[in-house]
Amino acid sequence: MEPLLTVENLTVSFRTDEGLITPVMGVGFTVYKGKTLGLVGESGSGKSVSTKALIRLLPGSARIAPDSRMHYRAKSGELIKIETLGNRGPAIRHLRGGEIGMIFQEPMASFSPVYTIGNQIMEAVRLHRGLSGRQARTLAVDMLDKVGISNPRDRVDQYPHELSGGMRQRAMIALALSAGPALLIADEPTTALDVTVQAQVLELMRGLQDELGMGLIFITHDLGVIAQIAEEVAVMYLGTIVERGPTRAVIRAPQHPYTQGLLRAIPSLDRLNDRLQAVPGDIPSPLERPTGCGFHPRCPHKIAGLCDTTAPAETAAGPGRRVRCWLNEESGRPAA
Amino acid sequence: MIRLVLDRFVGMVFTMALVSLLVFLIMELPPGDYADRYAFRKYSGTGVNVTEGDIQAIREDLGLDKPLVFRYVDWIGNIVLYGDFGQAFAFETPVTKVIGDKVWLTLGILFATLIVTYLISIPIGIFAAVNRGSSGDYLLTVFSYLGLALPNFLLALILLYFANRWFGADIGGLMSPAFERAPWSLAKLWDVIAHLWLPAFVLAWSAVAYQLQTVRATMSDELNKLSVTAARARGVPETKLLIKYPARLAINPVVSTIGFDVNRIFSELPIVAAVLGLTELGELLLRAYLDLDMYVAGAILLMLTFAIVFMNFVSDILLAWLDPRIKLGS
Ligand SMILES: Nc1ncnc2c1ncn2[C@@H]1O[C@H](COP(=O)(O)OP(=O)(O)OP(=O)(O)O)[C@@H](O)[C@H]1O
Ligand SMILES: [Mg+2]
Repeated sequence: MEPLLTVENLTVSFRTDEGLITPVMGVGFTVYKGKTLGLVGESGSGKSVSTKALIRLLPGSARIAPDSRMHYRAKSGELIKIETLGNRGPAIRHLRGGEIGMIFQEPMASFSPVYTIGNQIMEAVRLHRGLSGRQARTLAVDMLDKVGISNPRDRVDQYPHELSGGMRQRAMIALALSAGPALLIADEPTTALDVTVQAQVLELMRGLQDELGMGLIFITHDLGVIAQIAEEVAVMYLGTIVERGPTRAVIRAPQHPYTQGLLRAIPSLDRLNDRLQAVPGDIPSPLERPTGCGFHPRCPHKIAGLCDTTAPAETAAGPGRRVRCWLNEESGRPAA
Repeated sequence: MIRLVLDRFVGMVFTMALVSLLVFLIMELPPGDYADRYAFRKYSGTGVNVTEGDIQAIREDLGLDKPLVFRYVDWIGNIVLYGDFGQAFAFETPVTKVIGDKVWLTLGILFATLIVTYLISIPIGIFAAVNRGSSGDYLLTVFSYLGLALPNFLLALILLYFANRWFGADIGGLMSPAFERAPWSLAKLWDVIAHLWLPAFVLAWSAVAYQLQTVRATMSDELNKLSVTAARARGVPETKLLIKYPARLAINPVVSTIGFDVNRIFSELPIVAAVLGLTELGELLLRAYLDLDMYVAGAILLMLTFAIVFMNFVSDILLAWLDPRIKLGS
């Protein structure tokens, strides 16, 4: 199957007062039509930055390295090299929303408080579907209905603060979908919601994805959520993807010590009595990136003299799996 | 929205009633009453001997012997019902005649100043926020501090000098002498506008500097809102996006201080007017006070305060229109 999106060697740097930082370094992943890629990692690992780069949403202080590749297969069949587009102009605007939709973590803040949700949904519809007036409104109402909002005909004229948090996130999903994207990026869409609502929204997204056949990038710091929604998973640490592969395989037999740590951190019923064991240590600031493998200061299996001096390359580790770790490189075959 | 407008309108009328009562009490403050002063004016130097009885007669004639409340009701009633502000004794003519055109000219300066203030400060403040840290932004910041530091009348003098030298225009006064006695016409209106820009610019100067900084600060905040990023992420063109989302909220603090600006313009107007040789209400008010011509003073005070109260009303309505949360909350 041909991929919808191929990212290779994506590197993003920021000019800051403290100097140049590079929170995303050599990231690569692939998303297929109708499939979900889960992007998981601690706070600050670069999940948002690398996905924002896909629709060129980064601020002016950001720079995408010239050898980064972000190739997207548009609905028309045309191959779009996102790295060649600018931050402005019709080409990137067409991509934003119409081809690649985005949902953010804060459902309250992603709507403007001074326009009705209908106004903001219809804006997207008009921009990308060429519909106008009544047709756009009908589509907005249909979409609100589709995401499970009751009384969509009334809700469409309400302001964001008149909706509950869960309802707002549903409305945000409706907004993103109403522009008809082929790829949806959901950046921690359920983190701000309480647990029962979280489950409903997850269920909704899974159903909609099946129905519409979109590709989905689902960002979270919770591997448990990934297990429920994603066929493929990519684990990010300090701006690089340390392990990726089919979700089941990765969860069953994690190969990178960081993934292993994350999995141990998930509380599960049969281990309720155990002390909750998070990955020991803190994620370093991007300003003080460790030499060698970024994870070595926290790694229980680090090889002195190797891990702290030289960064490992990504190597194949079983069917469809890749790991960036010296432990694997020693035993496994280097990636082609 | 209609409910809110009605609500605020009732509030405005109530405030105006209170303000008019206050103005009336101020009119009553100077020693003696209108009859005393009237008699003094009328007969002083004529050799006629004025008795207490004569004054009492005048008093009764003018209805001044009635209790305060009745006199207030008479006064405000005549104003509201007939537009009659009473007699100006300094000129033996109705107050409306004395004030006459000056009301319109003062209001003209007021609105011209407000328009100049907002037309300059809002777009430039937005520009500075969008291009934060650029050389343009830096230049504007310097200009702002200059604007806040330079006194109006000094600026008026400087501008007057240059306007005269460069345009050779007689820029003092509110219209060319040729038009002064002419009836209102398009040509006269245009002439007034040509004269208006200078006082408007002088009066707008410090407000522009101040409001520019306000818009720049709130716009910078608004630009960082997730809702703006979200709108950008759905492909909204940049200019439309800036106007529709952050700018609409960024002008909130400007709109909410319209009343404050009006107040400030009125208090700065007399000195600027003196420098530029304009006759406007403030100067007349001062003269009326000195002459104890209280009906003229009262009328002017009333109009100035009404203008402030009315502009506050406008500001409230605009705010509710800009941010619908306000009307939904109430
Ligand atoms: N505009 C910016 N300027 C400078 N540094 C930035 C900027 N945006 C992000 N960063 C840095 O990039 C790093 C990665 O940020 P990112 O938002 O991608 O993390 P994340 O994985 O999405 O975390 P979270 O789970 O908290 O959302 C952070 O260390 C952050 O400080
Ligand atoms: Mg993030």
